[in-house]
Amino acid sequence: MSRRRLLAALAVVAGILVAAPQSALAHGLVGRQDLPIPKWLFGWAATVVLVASFVGLAVLWPRPRLESPAERRTISVPRLLDGLCGAIGVAIFALLVYAGFAGSQTTTNNITPTFVFVIFWVGLAIVSMLFGDLFKAFNPWRAIARAVAAVASMGGRRTLPAPMPYPVALGRWPAAAGILAFAWVELVYSGRTDPSNLAVLMLAYAAVQLVGMSLYGIETWNRYGDAFGVYFGLFARMSPLRWERGALYRRLPLSGLTTLDPVPGTVALLCVMIGTTSFDGFSAGPSWGEIAPRMTDSLRSLGLAQATALEVAFTIGLVVVVAVIAGLFRLGITGMRGAAGAKEPTDALAARFAHTLVPIALAYVVAHYFSLLAYQGQAMFYLVSDPLGEGANIFGSAKTTIDYSWISATSIWYVQVAALVIGHVAGLILAHDRALIAFKDGRTATRSQYWMLAVMIAFTSLGLWLLSAANA
Amino acid sequence: MTAPLLAHVGHWIVNLLYLVPLVIVVAMLGISSLRDRRAATAEAAAGGAPPPDADEPHPV
Repeated sequence: MSRRRLLAALAVVAGILVAAPQSALAHGLVGRQDLPIPKWLFGWAATVVLVASFVGLAVLWPRPRLESPAERRTISVPRLLDGLCGAIGVAIFALLVYAGFAGSQTTTNNITPTFVFVIFWVGLAIVSMLFGDLFKAFNPWRAIARAVAAVASMGGRRTLPAPMPYPVALGRWPAAAGILAFAWVELVYSGRTDPSNLAVLMLAYAAVQLVGMSLYGIETWNRYGDAFGVYFGLFARMSPLRWERGALYRRLPLSGLTTLDPVPGTVALLCVMIGTTSFDGFSAGPSWGEIAPRMTDSLRSLGLAQATALEVAFTIGLVVVVAVIAGLFRLGITGMRGAAGAKEPTDALAARFAHTLVPIALAYVVAHYFSLLAYQGQAMFYLVSDPLGEGANIFGSAKTTIDYSWISATSIWYVQVAALVIGHVAGLILAHDRALIAFKDGRTATRSQYWMLAVMIAFTSLGLWLLSAANA
Repeated sequence: MTAPLLAHVGHWIVNLLYLVPLVIVVAMLGISSLRDRRAATAEAAAGGAPPPDADEPHPV
């Protein structure tokens, strides 16, 4: 089938799918969130957008535009700001650990759980996408390591020993393990709501980071080993802003992702990022509600206690969903390899296209946690005034409450759908742009992307299904 | 087993609707791949070098 015929066929399907939601609109179906059409039709409409984007890219994007990112220095930033931000990061970290141990052990009254799971995990991901890698400046363990290195180099007569070379095979595997561990704590660990447990885990994580930085160097470990440094750093690559050595640079949005080095563990990390968020949605739906009790009963029959059996069941679910996401991506890459007649091994090709998963990972974060940020994020107004939950009113805002009416459930749904669609279109753009340099000509590049289109539609449909199931 | 499955069909069949667009696109991809392969096989059997696609103008 020629390219034009296939594109025409895709356009026809797009037209049919566009027509379907319109006819449904005429029926005026109303869902629980006052939606004019059933939720599954949003999945069809999202597919239309993806197919139309694919056709548009094939026709209007004949040359790579993102692969050689041009940057423009915008402003100079005082070097002092780096140290100041680091000090603020350390102070916040210390406050959270202290609040975790000394504050109220009621989750909603203590600042630590809300800050870690809402502001840090969700809010900072969105901020990184908009404003660049701000976490790097505020990273408390990086700031501590830099301060220690500065003091040691000033006070000591001998220079500090050079760090060990970072093992190539290690790549981003430590970050993948770290994000999986964090997700396990967030979604599986029964003690996650206990602020003191959270404080212990924060200290343990900081200790591991300090050891990693002392062995392999601060910046190297920050780039590959520090789970949160890597996590926020990936989202920051989507940003039109980049902070580097006392200056702020401007660039095309998404172009920072094209320079992502495809070291081992990168694909795994991204699959973990998408898979763990997917499991969060899946575990809130009725399907898991039926599977989990059966699994728990089976595990209890093996002699496990109820709480342990539940944790093991959730751990299995978490790992399986991550494996499903990895399998879907692998399938798309294998199809792409066959369609393009590429000689490159599938693993290498997967690594070259790994950056296309970053916007999808962020889309999943926004889609699944936007309501958490919109509602529970407001708790920060009273928590900053009373971080320990012991009746203080430092800034006079301790009596504020969460306003659940500022954004409707319907608006949240639209934000979620928009995030998923935009994230997947961004993924398609990156994949198309990379294919143009990876394969011999434009036609082969477009043909290779049929399979990435299928993967993007699969991820979008999965994301919308998970959301609809969780909100059912 | 079949009876309860059918009794709750209204609950789970909606989930399948999310798969429809993916099935359509994958089916189209499969068909186009199959046609490409058949065309390549036919060309190989004919013994000639594969010509350019029909919509590609021939070099002058």
